[in-house]
Amino acid sequence: MYVIIVYDIEQERVAKVCQYLRRFLYWAQNSVFEGELSEAQLVKVKSGLSKLIDPQRDSVYIYQLPGKKLVKKEILGQEKIVTRTILE
Amino acid sequence: MAQSYYIFRSGRLRRKQNTLYFEQESEDGQLQKVPIPIENVRDLYLFGEIDLNTKLLTFLAQNEVTLHCFNYYGFYIGSFYPRETNVSGYLLVKQVEHYLDPQKRLEIAKEFVAGALFHLRRNLNYYRNRGREVDVSLEVVESSLKRLNECGSVAELMSEEGRARDAYYQAFNEILELQQPYTKRVRRPPDNEVNSLISFGNSLLYTATLSELYVTQLNPTISYLHEPSQRRFSLALDLSEIFKPLIVDRLIFRLLNRGEIDENDFESIGEAKGVYLKEGARKKFVRVFEEYLQTTVKHRRLKRHVSYRHLIRLEAYKLIKHLVNIETYKSLRAWW
Repeated sequence: MYVIIVYDIEQERVAKVCQYLRRFLYWAQNSVFEGELSEAQLVKVKSGLSKLIDPQRDSVYIYQLPGKKLVKKEILGQEKIVTRTILE
Repeated sequence: MAQSYYIFRSGRLRRKQNTLYFEQESEDGQLQKVPIPIENVRDLYLFGEIDLNTKLLTFLAQNEVTLHCFNYYGFYIGSFYPRETNVSGYLLVKQVEHYLDPQKRLEIAKEFVAGALFHLRRNLNYYRNRGREVDVSLEVVESSLKRLNECGSVAELMSEEGRARDAYYQAFNEILELQQPYTKRVRRPPDNEVNSLISFGNSLLYTATLSELYVTQLNPTISYLHEPSQRRFSLALDLSEIFKPLIVDRLIFRLLNRGEIDENDFESIGEAKGVYLKEGARKKFVRVFEEYLQTTVKHRRLKRHVSYRHLIRLEAYKLIKHLVNIETYKSLRAWW
């Protein structure tokens, strides 16, 4: 499935969350990650995140889509995400 | 889900914050970093000049990522094949058992050749239906296919396959619009453009097969058609035999006939007789190869769409079933 994760996290913890998500997903822009995940990976991501955040103060939104093909994405201005698998 | 990553740039690959970073110094001295989500990596193909350290290898091993290296000319150098996590002593014993018994070995080897020849014939038929004069080659392949069952040894099987393949390569002159006729398959080094493409394509396929074998419990050094235990992971050679005509050859036909790769994409280096793909063409080939592996067909038995890459793994699973006596191995025959 295609997953978009958006978060609002206090400064002291935000770097940890960003680092953690980089293991699974592509960084799209500040506080936004996206990419393809399996069900199991999503469970792992969620449990990892819940250990990193403070549920009283932080918030993480996870959007799930059935597949990348069903996402229509448009970018205005700068594209920051690098999802290529061929680095040349 | 996981992806193959192909790195043509030169730079450093490092473990950082428990994920992968590819770092490269740009012209103005700035360090450019590309993060690669480690959980999304199936294998890495290194074509550039890349620095790495054991810390990275440890990390790759933990995440079960295989790494394949190619030299300056695009020749396969070797793989970092992490410690196997899927091991099965039982299956290993079975694998050896089927190798040691000439009859059992022949049975498996025959299936590999039958699959390969079937796909050779399929390619020839495809072009015959489009009006190319490939009947002579087709006849040779057909008769080889018929004679397979009479082969009493792996050596006979190999020579039968060799004969069919020679005839098949002759048909390349009809299939491809070449300026110089394609005479025969020459390796180490490839002596003309077509051979160079075949060599490069086969080595990519070989590594892809190895990556799939890594996921299974099979031991990649024990093979049935090729002689095992020498030099290479020969089981990957066995299995890729079935897929070469299906994937590599068809890609080559397509690229050359559409003019996406032409004579200008090759160069010879110095005095040597070898002909090599230029870097731009190599990238193009890798890109279409990866796309090709990701295309899917509807699997009749699994009743879902599977990619060409996954078909390679399914082939390994079928072999396991054969070895542990669940179901007789029948190699893939493209049905679509």
